[in-house]
Amino acid sequence: MSDFVRQIRDFFVSIRLTVVLLIMSIILVFAATLAQVELGLWGVQQKYFHSFFVMQEIPHTGITVPAFPGGYLIGGLLLINLLAAHIYRFKLEWRKSGIQLTHTGLILLLVGELLTGLLAEESLMRIDEGQTKHYSESYRQYELALLDLTNPSYNEVVAIPETVLAETGTIQHPQLPFKVTIKDYFPNASLQRRAQAPGTPAARATAGIGPSIAVLPLPLNAKESEGNLPATFVELAGTEGSLGTWLASPALSQPQTVVYQGHTWEITLRLRRYYQTHTVKLLNFTHEKYAGTDIPKNFASRIQLTTDNQSEDREVLIYMNNPLRYAGLTYYQAGFENNDRTSILQVVRNPNWILPYIACLMMGLGLLLQFGIHLVNFSRKRAAT
Amino acid sequence: MKLHLISLSLGLAALPFTGCRDQKIMAYRAPKDPAPVMAAAAPAQMAPGATLPDGHPAIGGEAAPASAPGAMTGNVPTAEGMALLWTAPAHWTAKSLGSMRKGSYAVAGEAGAVGDLAITAFPGDTGGLFANVNRWRGQVGLGPIEAAQLEASLKNIEANGLKITIVEATGQANGVPTTLLGAIVPHDGQTWFFKLIGPAALVTREQTAFRDFLSTIKPR
Repeated sequence: MSDFVRQIRDFFVSIRLTVVLLIMSIILVFAATLAQVELGLWGVQQKYFHSFFVMQEIPHTGITVPAFPGGYLIGGLLLINLLAAHIYRFKLEWRKSGIQLTHTGLILLLVGELLTGLLAEESLMRIDEGQTKHYSESYRQYELALLDLTNPSYNEVVAIPETVLAETGTIQHPQLPFKVTIKDYFPNASLQRRAQAPGTPAARATAGIGPSIAVLPLPLNAKESEGNLPATFVELAGTEGSLGTWLASPALSQPQTVVYQGHTWEITLRLRRYYQTHTVKLLNFTHEKYAGTDIPKNFASRIQLTTDNQSEDREVLIYMNNPLRYAGLTYYQAGFENNDRTSILQVVRNPNWILPYIACLMMGLGLLLQFGIHLVNFSRKRAAT
Repeated sequence: MKLHLISLSLGLAALPFTGCRDQKIMAYRAPKDPAPVMAAAAPAQMAPGATLPDGHPAIGGEAAPASAPGAMTGNVPTAEGMALLWTAPAHWTAKSLGSMRKGSYAVAGEAGAVGDLAITAFPGDTGGLFANVNRWRGQVGLGPIEAAQLEASLKNIEANGLKITIVEATGQANGVPTTLLGAIVPHDGQTWFFKLIGPAALVTREQTAFRDFLSTIKPR
């Protein structure tokens, strides 16, 4: 083995690397906790944990540089370190089987966390009593949806995510009979009636409600409770030329439409939707309190779950710590509003949900085994002396 | 050599995670959204004194209170949580909340007339009573009153420990006689607005129901 390869091996199996990485994790968690005041929970997760490097701007330059390893990097290195040490030092011995089982569980836990971070999708379903819903919505990602409303029984949808809107430019999608040009995009903006906002620049929109609305860009708000309301100016152009420029924003409560080649299209900027092949109807929501107090005891949503092909049609009760698992999704009771008439369900798609359970089971068994072996050996020694 | 090793390990650790999550344009077929519970309520929601062209849809839900930053937009920070509870009369129909409302009801009248009851809440005093009374008057096409006339134009009641100020204004909206019946409830650093607006005859008939409704408002 060459010196170089040996050095690599020694680096990755070193306990010093483990210690350095664990110290870095502590610093990262500490810094992120302090930053939560400014950035909010979601902002901190993205900046500190769901990243390879924590990027920081050099004051007054506008240049961002990596300031510290991020969660993915530290976690990834810890995983490599653990795996390398495991492989290098692995000896099939009954005496160490408990430790090995515990370590394997820990590796699984780290892998599981990485997979969850990369694969899991979380969304919300706000549903009123008596309402039926086919979709859940993202917490904070928006999409520009162009809907062909022509068919009476369904809509053809082309959904353009915010990341594409942010790049602006022209989009020619095979499902669209026109070109879509994103002329401007504001990740957070306030809308004001133009007549009440004198001095604002001339309207960019030429069609729909846009010409009478002024768009005032706002700085991005990282606080979870407040969020952002994006706005965009979109020009549609057919073969004969421009059909007009529309303002789209989730703050516009009514949809805007355009008729082109006999098809009616709706233009809307909405929270990103996740459609399912089943519907959820909220039959009723109950909010129990402890007798004589306003202290909540239980929240429960009684829903009707119906698949599109009618193969399943049943009532389900979702309450705290009793989620519905169906079709790879987990529906948790997350909240309520509107004077207890609207239930909020958190909808999680996590193909990896089982891994942490297996990991914890393995670690538990491993520790039990290891301590058991020690106990037996100790008892034998005592008996012998 | 050590530095090389560190950079190599950084690269190795980064390798498995270079993929980007689904940020592509998606095309799919989706079922139509069910119609809103009370679509007819939308015109009543549009403030009659507003400046949008006729027939244009409303912006957002309830307009922001007088002093909120970016007033008349759908992007005003609203008060968090549900600090107040109420019981709506059985003949009012709950409808979807939109981005700003805490509660939302359609109040049906005769011959298809529909009134809109909006419940909103904002942090702080939202510019004070005077500014908000004039804001509401503007929504039924009435001019502002002087500060000296304010007290005479209000009614004050108390319910469940809450001080409730009732405002009534009748004017015109799109050429139709329209009445706004509102209540302003300061509570725990927030200001709550309960506003019923609709054809004058309908709102007049709902006066008693509205008062009864106000008496059910209580802190959580």
